[in-house]
Amino acid sequence: MTGQRRGAGLLGIAAMMVLWEGVGRAFEGAFLIAGPSDILVYLGANLGLMVRALGETLGNAALGFVAGNLAAIALAVLAQLWPPSRSSVSGLALIVFCLPLVATGPILRILYGPGPGPQITLAALAVYYTTLVPLLVGLRAAPASWFDLVRSYGRGPLTELVHVRAWATLPYLFAGLQIAAPAAFLGAMVGEFTGAERGMGVLTIRAIRALDVDATWTIATIAALVSILAYSGLGAIARRVLLEKPAVILSAPVSTGRRRGPWHAAARLALLLGLTIGLWWAALELADLPSFFAKRPDDVWRAFVTAPDASATRATMASALAGTALFVVPGYLAGLALGAALAILFLLVPAAAAVGMPVAVALRSVPIVTTAPLLVLALGRGATGTITLVAVMVFFPTFVACLHGLRQAPGQILDVFDTYAAGRLARLVHVHVPAMLPAFFAAARMAVPASILAVTVVEWLATGRGVGALMALSASLSDYDMLWGAVVVVSGLSILGYAAISAVERRILSVYAAEQLGA
Amino acid sequence: MAADPDRTDPPSVVCDDLSKRFAEGTDVLRGVDLTLAAGRTTAFVGPSGCGKSTLLRLIAGLETPSGGRVEIGGAPPSETLKRAGLAMAFQDPSLLPWRTVRGNIELALKLARKPADRTAIDDLIALVGLGGFDEVRPAALSGGMRQRAAIARAMVTRPGLLLLDEPFGAVDELTRRQLAEDLPRLWEARATTTILVTHSVQEAVMLSDRVIVFSSRPARIVGDVAIDLDRPRPASRVSDPDFVALATQVSEALARGMAGPQDRLAAQ
Ligand SMILES: Nc1ncnc2c1ncn2[C@@H]1O[C@H](COP(=O)(O)OP(=O)(O)OP(=O)(O)O)[C@@H](O)[C@H]1O
Ligand SMILES: [Mg+2]
Repeated sequence: MTGQRRGAGLLGIAAMMVLWEGVGRAFEGAFLIAGPSDILVYLGANLGLMVRALGETLGNAALGFVAGNLAAIALAVLAQLWPPSRSSVSGLALIVFCLPLVATGPILRILYGPGPGPQITLAALAVYYTTLVPLLVGLRAAPASWFDLVRSYGRGPLTELVHVRAWATLPYLFAGLQIAAPAAFLGAMVGEFTGAERGMGVLTIRAIRALDVDATWTIATIAALVSILAYSGLGAIARRVLLEKPAVILSAPVSTGRRRGPWHAAARLALLLGLTIGLWWAALELADLPSFFAKRPDDVWRAFVTAPDASATRATMASALAGTALFVVPGYLAGLALGAALAILFLLVPAAAAVGMPVAVALRSVPIVTTAPLLVLALGRGATGTITLVAVMVFFPTFVACLHGLRQAPGQILDVFDTYAAGRLARLVHVHVPAMLPAFFAAARMAVPASILAVTVVEWLATGRGVGALMALSASLSDYDMLWGAVVVVSGLSILGYAAISAVERRILSVYAAEQLGA
Repeated sequence: MAADPDRTDPPSVVCDDLSKRFAEGTDVLRGVDLTLAAGRTTAFVGPSGCGKSTLLRLIAGLETPSGGRVEIGGAPPSETLKRAGLAMAFQDPSLLPWRTVRGNIELALKLARKPADRTAIDDLIALVGLGGFDEVRPAALSGGMRQRAAIARAMVTRPGLLLLDEPFGAVDELTRRQLAEDLPRLWEARATTTILVTHSVQEAVMLSDRVIVFSSRPARIVGDVAIDLDRPRPASRVSDPDFVALATQVSEALARGMAGPQDRLAAQ
């Protein structure tokens, strides 16, 4: 970064602080906002408490970070060394990624009992996918002749892995780790929401219950700072270790393989479904968990399909889902639209980008969900707060992805436009926007589970409506059929949403960016 | 010179009715019959895209033939691969960007399960004119320097069969001449069967004992010129009448093998 740009960035951040303090003072009493000075005061008075809680959460997040990333690396290596496993590995990974943490948390809590188990597991679940996806790409991102070199000495896939793939994938690994660091902190905090004894998540719950504005803001600020530090720290390490910049891969590219017809796809889907159900069953059986709370697939089937009260159960679920959809759909669409629009604005007005970019990059690493309590405090428990939170959750990754995509526009093509003296609009429509589309869709896909996470967290912590609240209620009433059913239904819907976006993506990219779909 | 215990005799190479057609239906080679004597240097020349690289890859066992077979020293290429008995310098230098020049050369020894030999590496780095660049990473080298590093890497394992795919493409004229003098000496001293793909007729005649000329795709052999010039061949040789005669013979064969307007040119 040049000195000038760094200066502009610092200016942007300073301006934001002043604005924040000003807003906090101006609306004292009207909105529940604590400014930087309030936070410092609170922190001074409760330093010991905060440090202990932060230590606890950081410890859990770190363990989850390590476990989740090791799992991702192991899965990626398995998929690489044993290609038939590839589609199952990525499919199962997506399913696990779509599990609603809000319901998984309480389930893990009953499975583990007291202790840090659920927090660590949720942190691991929150990170492994964002590492796995770049790894699956990175392990194959080397020119064929490097593998020919290895083969020309009579060596096989294992040597390829050690001497070529492992190295070639480092930029991708770091890209994943960088995104994973804040995500681990978020996972640990959500885990602590579910009845932990210590940690930042526990303090959050207490502060919200007590409507303690200063405490809520202080916790969210600390969480944000930790995330920014972790994100930029890993970025700094990456710059030292790598010869090139970390790759930017936000999501698995849409499948580019040969089309093998609907039967092949159906068979793969059936295999995946069978695997999921089999693993679910086997895990619970092997752990010998009582079916009172560890529901098997057939328990859920019974509760939702064959039991006498199944239709009542389904109705409860449906009305909760309808309530949630009311918030999540507008928030999701607004977040996508704003993200793309602001990215385009930054492209057209470079001065805005110089000031706004560092703020956006800093905020993007903030696990937005940890700030959910703030938005609820500030905007109330109604629709506005929830929709805003979902939109914000979707906005940042979309914005950063689109910005990155816009910059991908090849310079030579722009030169061609320059030679025709084409205007900004023509360049935007014909060059930049098509270049942005793949990144936009990648972000849109990843934002599906993210927005469901956001909406369920708010519903659970604050609004008491929708499927998030249903999960919380079922957990506290020990209605485990409903809780497990909610996991199945919500992840199923997440995956459907993800698949629907992939389908749209494939159609649009085949028109606007055919080369991005690969050979 | 001390006998190298790892080293087997240089193998002969036989292509028997060799064909290659890619999955997309591109017919690249059709019925190539070829026997290359052990310990000799052969140059392949032919129009761009005719299938020279493909033939080299088939010989190296990196590609499976659609018809016919390849034998190296009387056995399929996989046997040679197992012993790390061959080495190839690829058309694209394919240096690993995270390894230095020395690191890339050392990697070949590691892949061939041979002990790292510092002085041998130093000698080769000096031979290809990269002295002082041994700790530099490929990104900081010019295209020609990268190619020379790739040549050194291919030679460091002392393979019985050495395959060089346009190894001097980006090397400047002076260095090229120097290499054309130094490399054959080493191949002879080490008794190596060498196959060299090149677009330069002069280079082919200068370096080899035999030049095979291919037609445009699908490649057939349209010329087979024995180069019976004695060695060493100093750069000044190029203007000698016997050299010129051989070079003309190769050029004519090349023109015969070209499709399209050149066909008519050659016929006149
Ligand atoms: N893996 C592949 N799949 C499909 N076609 C291929 C493949 N490799 C090469 N070809 C085709 O085979 C033909 C010969 O390619 P090859 O690289 O062997 O040519 P070449 O003689 O080495 O050309 P050049 O002198 O330009 O290097 C080309 O038409 C190329 O498109
Ligand atoms: Mg070639």
